[in-house]
Order: sequence, then C-alpha cells, then structure tokens
Amino acid sequence: MELAGTAECYCPMPLLRMRDATFARNAVSAGPLTLDLERGERMALHCESAKEACVVALLATGIVKATTGCVLINDYDPRVQSVHCKRAAALVPHEPLALEESEFARYIAYRAALWNVEPSRARACARRLRARLAGMHEALAYPLIGALIGTPQLVVLDRPQPVYARLIVDVLEGRALFSTHADAAAARAFAPGGLARVRAAGA
Amino acid sequence: MRSRAPAGVVQARLYVQRRVVFCACAAAFVAGLVEPSGPAAPLFLCSLLGIAMALAQSPGLHPHLDRCEQGAPLFGRELARAKALVPCVAAVSAGLCFAGAQLARGVSTVPVTLSVTLAAVVASTLVALSATTRRGLARTLYVLLAACTSAGAYALVAAARSPAAELAFCAFVAFFALRQYGETLARYDPI
Repeated sequence: MELAGTAECYCPMPLLRMRDATFARNAVSAGPLTLDLERGERMALHCESAKEACVVALLATGIVKATTGCVLINDYDPRVQSVHCKRAAALVPHEPLALEESEFARYIAYRAALWNVEPSRARACARRLRARLAGMHEALAYPLIGALIGTPQLVVLDRPQPVYARLIVDVLEGRALFSTHADAAAARAFAPGGLARVRAAGA
Repeated sequence: MRSRAPAGVVQARLYVQRRVVFCACAAAFVAGLVEPSGPAAPLFLCSLLGIAMALAQSPGLHPHLDRCEQGAPLFGRELARAKALVPCVAAVSAGLCFAGAQLARGVSTVPVTLSVTLAAVVASTLVALSATTRRGLARTLYVLLAACTSAGAYALVAAARSPAAELAFCAFVAFFALRQYGETLARYDPI
C-alpha cells in the first residue's frame, strides 16, 4: 500500500481561522475579521459594541454563519459542518445563569445529554470544576462549567468579567481561549499579548 | 440518532414549563368532565393547547436553553425532533387527561375519540412549530395552517365519518411538518 502525498507537507491548521469574516443582518453587523488562533493560545478581541462582541463570539463557535468571508473552526466550515465545529468550540454566554443550588445537578445532566457525555463523568467533572471556581459567583461559574463538560478544544467567552480572568484562565488547563469584549481593559485582562495579533476592523 | 439528547431537551423544557403543562392537563381534565362525548371538544381543545405549547418553544422565551441547544453538536433534524417532542408530550398528556375524565364518566367511545384526537393534536402541533422560527405574517400563517390542520382532521372524522382517513391525513401532515421544521432549524440564525 502506498500513501499519497508526503508527511513533510502536513501543516496543522489553526484552531480558529477567520479571513475577512463579516456578519450583517437585521441592523447588526460585525467585522471584517482576520485572525488565526492556534491550539493552547489565548486571544481577546476588543469590539466597538456589546452587540458586535456577542456576534463575533457566536461566529467563533459556528452558531451564526459569516455573511461574507471565511470562518474555519478546527478546519471545519460552520456553513457545511456545523456539528463538527460545535464539538470543537464551546460558547460561554455573557448573561449570568441564575440557578438554585438544587437545579445545578439538573443543568449538568442537561448539558451532558446535549454533548453526549456520560452523566457520571459529567457530574465528576462539574464537581471538580466547581471546587476550582469557588471564588467565582455561581451565576457566572455555572455556564463556564457547563461549557467545559463537553471537553472542547476552544472556549469562546462573550464579554467575560475581567475580575475573574485569572480563575478562568487557570481552569481552562491549556485549552485555546477566545474572548470578546466591549472595553479594552477587560480584553487586556484576558490576553495581554493576544490583542496585537488581531487584524480586525473591530479591534 | 442518540436518545440522550432528545431526552435531555424534553426533560429540561418540560421542567421550565411544568406549570403551563400542569394547567393544560387540568383544563383538559375539567373539560372532559363537563363536555358531552364526541371528538369536537377534545380535538379542538387539545390542538389549541398543542399549538400554544409549540409557540412556547419560540426562541427568546427560555434564552439559556436556546443558547445551549444552538451551541450543542446536534444536526438540525435531531434538534427538531427533540424540540418537537416537548409540545407533543404536553398536548398528548392533556389529551390523555381528557380521555381519563371521560372514562371516569363512563363514556363508551373513548378509544376512537382518543386516537383521532391524538393524531390531530400531534399534526397541528408539529405544523405550529414552524411558526416559532418566523416573525410577522409568516408566523401568523403557520398558526392558521395549524388550526386548519385540526379543522381538516375534524372534518374527516365528523363529515366524512372516516377515522382511518383522518389518521392518514394527520400522519402525512405530521411527517412533512417535522421535516420542514428540521430544515428550518438547520438554517436558522439566532440573530
């Protein structure tokens, strides 16, 4: 048996790649964005408005599709292979999740079912993460815990609180982090060196 | 298709809408106690409850559930089947409560009434689901189409006196309504 191609040619694609990606619909617009995010890297994007930050976060997880340009998540195109994109990237929304203590286990079971994770494994993972995020407000910690249950390679944070930047970065354990922000100070808290790598109209 | 995801969606959505489902079942039970026998009351009442429950799955009413489901690695058709189960379970429960009340009253035609009711309820509920991802006139038209589905099913039972034709009509409509909803969800952009 012969293999086609040569091993020397192999060059891993960035985990998140945007090329002149724009979104424009219903008076909401974002971009154009051009960026590459490698595995294990952190990048924070300062956007002009909260709405644009939200749209860029949704673009980076494949939940919304770019109107023009190209977005690739783990080398998959969200317009064609959105399920593969969503396995690789997880979104942590900006809105806090107000849950009672008794509903946390129900929430974890729900997230585990959606991501096809064994319930026992999800519970153990949630317990461990909750202990590590003990200093964080529960309403902000729960969505992050829920996102990490599916063991994504890329975690996308929509306007996270800068006061918890250190805790969040620690709990990601080397996963790639892409965060969007409506103010520059918050962006600097999450990726001190990441901003310079972004070539974007909204940056 | 994995069974875990639909079960998770159904449990989570029924949990947040448990009060509405309980009220629907209670209303159906009371109606079953006071209404005369025949397919009109359960068919239209439970279809109405099904359409209302379908509209309760509209994006924005439970934003966190919406965001989790939009971000989950599920195909549009998988998500459509999971979300379609929620109003169907609620409306079928109401139909069963109505039938239970009629059984308690000693009505003899309950099995036939229940079967034609459940068929119409599921079909109209699935048609109404397509309204949840639309706005304005298109949304209104889908709700009207769901109401027409119930009316058509009733016409086949009451005027044509053909429960078999009603079941076939509802199965046909339900199949295409679910396919249409899956296609819509696959293309749906939450902004």
